[in-house]
Amino acid sequence: MEVTPVVSVSGLSKRYGATWALRDVSLEIAPGEVLGLIGVNGAGKSTLIKILSGVTRPTGGEIRVDGTPVDLRDPLRAQEAGLQTVHQDIDAGVVSGADVAANLTLDALAPGRSGVFVSRDRTRAAARAIAEAARLDVPLDAPVESLPAGVRQQIVIARVLSRRPRVLILDEPTSALSAAEIRVLIAMVRRLAADGVAVLYVSHRLSEIQELCDRVAVLRDGAIRRVFATPVEGPRLVEAMLGGEVGALTHEVRDGGEPVLRATGLRTRPGAAPLDLTVRAGEVVGVTGLVGSGKTELLEQLYGARPLVSGALDLDGRPYRPRDPGAAAAAGVAFVAEEREAQAVLPGWSVRAHVTLPRLRDHSRIGLLSRRSESAAARRVIEVFGVRGPGPEAEIGALSGGNQQKVVVGRWLEGRCRLLLLDEPFRGVDVGARADIARRIRERAGALGVVIASSDPQEVLQVADRVIVLHDGVRTGEVSAADASADRLATLMAGGADEGGGT
Amino acid sequence: MTLVTDGSPEAPPRAPAAARLATAGYRYGLLVVLVAVTVFFGAARSSFATYDNLLIVLQSVAIVAIVALGVTVSMTAGGFDLSVGANVSFVVMVTALAMVRFDLTGATAIGIGLLAGLLVAGVNALLVVVAGVPDLIATLGTMFLFQGLALIITSGQSVSAGMTIGGRPAPGRYTSGFTWFGSGTVASVPVPVIVMALLAVVAYVFLNNTRWGRALYAIGGNAQAARLAGIRVGRYRALAYAVSGLCAAVGGILLSARLGRGDVGAGDPYLMQAVAAALIGFAVLGANRPNVVGTAVGALFIGVVINGLTMLNAPYYTQTFVQGALLVVSLVTSFTLTPGRRR
Repeated sequence: MEVTPVVSVSGLSKRYGATWALRDVSLEIAPGEVLGLIGVNGAGKSTLIKILSGVTRPTGGEIRVDGTPVDLRDPLRAQEAGLQTVHQDIDAGVVSGADVAANLTLDALAPGRSGVFVSRDRTRAAARAIAEAARLDVPLDAPVESLPAGVRQQIVIARVLSRRPRVLILDEPTSALSAAEIRVLIAMVRRLAADGVAVLYVSHRLSEIQELCDRVAVLRDGAIRRVFATPVEGPRLVEAMLGGEVGALTHEVRDGGEPVLRATGLRTRPGAAPLDLTVRAGEVVGVTGLVGSGKTELLEQLYGARPLVSGALDLDGRPYRPRDPGAAAAAGVAFVAEEREAQAVLPGWSVRAHVTLPRLRDHSRIGLLSRRSESAAARRVIEVFGVRGPGPEAEIGALSGGNQQKVVVGRWLEGRCRLLLLDEPFRGVDVGARADIARRIRERAGALGVVIASSDPQEVLQVADRVIVLHDGVRTGEVSAADASADRLATLMAGGADEGGGT
Repeated sequence: MTLVTDGSPEAPPRAPAAARLATAGYRYGLLVVLVAVTVFFGAARSSFATYDNLLIVLQSVAIVAIVALGVTVSMTAGGFDLSVGANVSFVVMVTALAMVRFDLTGATAIGIGLLAGLLVAGVNALLVVVAGVPDLIATLGTMFLFQGLALIITSGQSVSAGMTIGGRPAPGRYTSGFTWFGSGTVASVPVPVIVMALLAVVAYVFLNNTRWGRALYAIGGNAQAARLAGIRVGRYRALAYAVSGLCAAVGGILLSARLGRGDVGAGDPYLMQAVAAALIGFAVLGANRPNVVGTAVGALFIGVVINGLTMLNAPYYTQTFVQGALLVVSLVTSFTLTPGRRR
């Protein structure tokens, strides 16, 4: 390309403590080009966006806009340099309670950009100009919270466009949008590109990336692994994201015994095609799929943490319909949530208290807790799972992520458990702890059924006997762990049909 | 069993002197100040540090402390009961009406008083758990509701023996059994102080040693984590308000017994003092969360300071300011000096 790129990044690195979130990343975007950026969670996408929007500063490397080096030391500098970011969370970008006109003209509130008083007429005139420039057709006096997500997002984008961006960064812009809203967004991005704006389009959805982008950069482990020119096949993208090889199985694949859970007509979300699921005692069922494919939705329904969309469940041959997690736990179903910090850890609490929380009743008589019984349970979890740390009374925060995860998983196996549901149990968990947890789960699976969900099929294959693949809320196939290949999984994860047969 | 310490950041070998001082101040600061204030008042007035005056101080804070125990329980589940003052007022009126207007026995009046407290709690639970209104504003609404209801049922007037109702004198009066709860003593210890001590022990055991208390703290610590561990968050939040309502009702019954009449709005000031006692309690022993010991110390602290200032002939109108200062210092202690609040 002879054109000077609008933005060029070279040798960009970012280190957090001992880990490199980004390592020697280089990319350029030409005027009018839409560059796609994909990668699994933790690949470094967020870090790159944070650097380009001036939220964090890189450890090393250079960023040039129109050939001139820029120092993005805070978000305002980034905006002045022409780098405008629309973040994933739409509602962080609008002020609810204010009307469309006020939201479009928020920038005018910055110091030095207007007088002391806000005039309604001037606001509306300014807002109308911004709306027209962005071809936004919304009543200016409508309260933003009354508008659908897609329109709220268009308002955010319109405001960003009023700053005359050189580069527009869209961070997972479609995660909260309906199919029709996505069409509108894609048309808008195309128009902007035609006007010469460079677009960095970050998404988990392969179909959008394939349709919209001129080139696609794939991040993995903090580095750019491949840059594809479109058209590119979905499975090739998935392979590049995941890093190809499927390692040799380290466990013996089992068939399982009596069904523990039988689910028919389940849906990950309203409107998705129904799927059936049977989990047998002694088997570990893996569920994999890219982010947003419906894994969490599926598991949370089985645990009563979100309402069942449709279908019927039975547990050990009896109808099972949990109203809430309490009912599920009482029926012998256990769930380890995706976000350990937010969904499992109680800051300041001891390991012992974390272990006994789901089964306080077992550790109390007439309501009074027995410290001895609690400590014994905590010590068992520590011993069985090899939790490294100062013991049952240690504060959970003093443990490493992997050891915290051992506690959060292990506590459910203390006591009656029929079905163990694990959502991304290996996230933020070091390799050693990962292997420990996987081994214990396989050992205990003799008596119970286990479902383990992860967007990394290799993690799933480390423990599972068979793997169900989801794409965009729908089951695209099922593979036995014994004959899973990277190619096959990538095809299914990208939404391809299952030609391999073998259920 | 081998437990290997993997050198994670739990115990740094030696904290700098300044940091250690801050930690000590955070844990023991408030207790040190309480002792210092007590010593100061004792030195200034010889009548301060006596057994009789101790009982006076305890009696003066007994009702505040009981109401504050309820507020503490509501706070453990992440709630905040602003309706306790109105609850106390409402129970005062209800018990007065029961005995004076309807000529019922003292025991019946106590039963009705407790039910009235539960009614307030029920409205709170309905608003917070079922309707999903945020705690602070839901209980604010309940506060207004029951302040108003107390006025309606008494036509806006105080209730006392011999008052006229529809041209005729009221048939009943406070029974002596009922007033014993306000002014009686057992071995020279006032009854409200005994009730306070009993309830404090019960509340302590409830929050620290029962599974219900553990569940309430879990909800206050991370409601999402508690829910996913199988705890029925809604039920426990309702339970917390029920306990808070009952404590306020006990406070109302004791206040009614002490006053011997139903004064309009008699319980309203107890809200601020009870909340202050519970919040001061955050700073005791570095708990940084609602706790029974802290609440008791907080109530005692308020009582000691007011009693001592009164003995030093400080004008009564300085009391609110002093309580406010005490509260602010405690809040800074627990929210700002927290070890580990380093960025």
